[in-house]
Amino acid sequence: MGKANPLMPQTVTVLDITTETPDVKTLRVAGKEGIPFDFMPGQCAMLSVPPVGEAIFSITSSPHCRDCLEFSIKRVGDVSGVLHELVSGRQLGIRGPYGNGFPVDEMKGKDLLFIGGGIGLAPLRSLIGYCFANREEYGHIDIVYGARSPADLVRKSEIGETWPEQPDSTVYLTVDAEFPDWSGHVGFVPSYVSELAFTPENRIAVTCGPPIMIKFVLQALEKLNFAPEHVITTLEMRMKCGVGKCGRCNLGSVYVCKDGPVFSLAQLNELPSEY
Amino acid sequence: MKKLLLKEKWPELWALLAHEGPLYLPVEEGSVVLYQLWQEGVKVNLEAVNSTVSPKDIFLPREETYLRYSCQGEMLDLEDVESDEPIIAFALHPCDLKAIEMIDRVFLNQDPPDALYKKRRENTTVVALACRQPDPYCFCGVFGIDPTDAPGADVMAYLTEKGLLLEEQTAKGKILLEKAAPLLEVEADETNITVDVKTQDFGLQVEGLPEDLQERFNDPVWDDLFRSCLGCGICTYVCPTCYCFDVEDYGHEEGGERFRCWDSCMFGHFTQMAGGHNPRPSRKERVRQRFMHKLCYYPETYGEIACVGCGRCLRSCPVNLDIVQAIKALGGEKVG
Amino acid sequence: MEEQISEQTVKVKKAVSQDLLGGRIDLLLGWEKGHYWWQSRPLFARSEKDLERLVWDSFCAVNLSRYLQDELKENKKIGVLVKGCDARAFNRLLQDRIVERERVILYGLPCPGMLDYARLTEEGGSDLEGIIEQDGTVILQTKEENKEMPREELLLARCRNCMHPDPVVYDQMLFTPLGDRERPEHFKAVEELERLSADERYTYWEKELSRCLRCYACRQVCPYCSCLECFVEQKSPRWQGRAYQPSENFMFHLVRAYHGTGRCIDCGECERVCPVGIPLMELNRKLIKDINELYGHYEAGLDPEQEPPLLTYRPDDPAAFSEK
Repeated sequence: MGKANPLMPQTVTVLDITTETPDVKTLRVAGKEGIPFDFMPGQCAMLSVPPVGEAIFSITSSPHCRDCLEFSIKRVGDVSGVLHELVSGRQLGIRGPYGNGFPVDEMKGKDLLFIGGGIGLAPLRSLIGYCFANREEYGHIDIVYGARSPADLVRKSEIGETWPEQPDSTVYLTVDAEFPDWSGHVGFVPSYVSELAFTPENRIAVTCGPPIMIKFVLQALEKLNFAPEHVITTLEMRMKCGVGKCGRCNLGSVYVCKDGPVFSLAQLNELPSEY
Repeated sequence: MKKLLLKEKWPELWALLAHEGPLYLPVEEGSVVLYQLWQEGVKVNLEAVNSTVSPKDIFLPREETYLRYSCQGEMLDLEDVESDEPIIAFALHPCDLKAIEMIDRVFLNQDPPDALYKKRRENTTVVALACRQPDPYCFCGVFGIDPTDAPGADVMAYLTEKGLLLEEQTAKGKILLEKAAPLLEVEADETNITVDVKTQDFGLQVEGLPEDLQERFNDPVWDDLFRSCLGCGICTYVCPTCYCFDVEDYGHEEGGERFRCWDSCMFGHFTQMAGGHNPRPSRKERVRQRFMHKLCYYPETYGEIACVGCGRCLRSCPVNLDIVQAIKALGGEKVG
Repeated sequence: MEEQISEQTVKVKKAVSQDLLGGRIDLLLGWEKGHYWWQSRPLFARSEKDLERLVWDSFCAVNLSRYLQDELKENKKIGVLVKGCDARAFNRLLQDRIVERERVILYGLPCPGMLDYARLTEEGGSDLEGIIEQDGTVILQTKEENKEMPREELLLARCRNCMHPDPVVYDQMLFTPLGDRERPEHFKAVEELERLSADERYTYWEKELSRCLRCYACRQVCPYCSCLECFVEQKSPRWQGRAYQPSENFMFHLVRAYHGTGRCIDCGECERVCPVGIPLMELNRKLIKDINELYGHYEAGLDPEQEPPLLTYRPDDPAAFSEK
């Protein structure tokens, strides 16, 4: 009966929790038979811990990982707060997947440019993992990722070791300011993107991060002559149902939980700028 | 063939129907009329045209528990809560039923259907009551609604001098009237049962308004229209076409329940994100959202303005910032 | 009276237009007619054209000083029309340091009380076509015949209990003050409730509050509810749940009433705007009565210099809670 009610969660168990940064932890969760549902990169799920409630998070793991779902979660509110306090073995509620996901088919045959900031790597990481798992389908992969400080960079082993070792791919890291233990690039993500001067030919850019970063990344990509159809981003809104009914995540007649959260810049240009 | 239920037999019918399951009908409590559960002693008011709050809560209750949780140590147990009771919704007016049809499109026709709402819709037998006289706030005519006809109802009822004339419209309605048969008179006086109910139109002209508004998200109208708004939720809560909801837990660590309840786009926390960002930070954005949803976004998806002219916001908004004022401010008036 | 009111409207317009058009104020908060003769709604006037719509009649119930909190963010100086209750509300905001006195010009309107459409139709029927006011009486115009009633009997409940129809704070008084009124029945409803047993009172309030939609209109219009963040929305800890349970209904209404103890100006706006007719003033007046009995007569909003009883301490204050 639970399946009939889209608001009804199922239970999953926390396998482990890793501390990524001072305010980000990664939870790995699984049901009795591995992942509780199939999904595509960019989709989200509602996690719940009663009596604190439910909140929506993007799925960080790649769909190819069948054992568990991963969520890299920044501590910002009640639900993320209680999720940070969970220990392995604890059960929690989950429902989903929600949203459209990234246009992985349209991206086939293209060079890809991933631009992430801070916890914005969470949804991108699922997509990056998907693209590496289907490496032959995609062209060159560039990843530009930055955070406020070296300590705020998430998924350090992947950004530092796994991804740069992948064939035909490059990872560019940056932090906002000088730090004693940091010898890499210093500067904001948008200006690093401009500096690297990516060409728009046969390339799709996918960006996710804090709203202010996205705003300037979009401007930078526009200057680099990327067509709005080839710039993709994912939006965050407060959501309660995940299925386009509770009424709070709309941009005009479009519901971010259902019709999004992934939009091309061309699509966003047609919608009320209420995000 | 219509059947007559004499006035003096009404209480008998309420008692009979209430025996079958929850019976909702318009109940007068002091200055307000609300659709409430019938019980011995309540004051049923069939003369009131529009209840203070719309009867949408029969299908979308103010609060509805749908799961119970219990947590022992690491284990979390989640259990469905479902109700299968047959419900009777009595004396709903055509405008309110039209509004239910509008909510149906979102809750039933959009995938995935809302299971809780669907169950209530399926389990409910609706008896519609034709209007005889409009309330001063009624303006359903603007939206082409016939206040004497409710095609979606299971039984159509008409108020006459003698009592209520009842006519089945569906199989569910037939069952209901069969149950009531012992109380009904077969010979019914059918003269003057439908009257020409003319509502006012405030000079409104809404044709083309939704299309026009698509380009007016940044219209200067929004910079002033919101000013008198107090930021309360009255308009959304009395409105028959508003359906926004919230989900919350009630209980403690070891056990409790999860419910959904009405919420309002007029409240600041409605879109407030955990990190502090709010895409609709002030009354301006919230008032715009409410009216744009009714007048532009909903029609964009479903082809009809999400207002049935019931007039509840005209009656209850403490500062008269109602949908008629909004439509007028946006230019939805007849020329000349 | 209708004619007289119109004359009053003309006089009000004249008084405020000099200040608005002369640039002394950037915005005037007044009233204009709504869709119906029995509705007057807030007017935010910035120009001569806006002022044409200004009206001062028997339906200007909305308290305009409530808008100052937001409007002062966008305007340097604002003119406000104030009735007796609105002026006390202004003092409340002043005392809570929500508004700055020098940025507001108050135009005082001695108020004979606002009419209640529900009462008018109760007496004149639902097809009431209009009213004519004459020297303290109201002629109800129905389709069949006219009915004459004393004006006093047709007032909003809040106005029937009003003791101070004249603004207590103003820059310019626009009409002759009416003088304070005796209201011997002011606490009558409270006294009746006090005579009930605790269980009976609980049952009474449980039923009344069960209609609460949690629309928060009572809070939004209230001059004592000026907190930038209400306990209702606070998340850690979360005081107020959203469930429609008696416990949550009591939580909201009782905590709100206690927050208003010694601060409620007895304007009755909460009760007027409540869409489901909850007698909220019975809660507020009970606390006004208790304050009077415990700490001596005090009326909030009358004098901004006078400290509210619960914000001061005297060694001889009664310790009512520990005594019982």
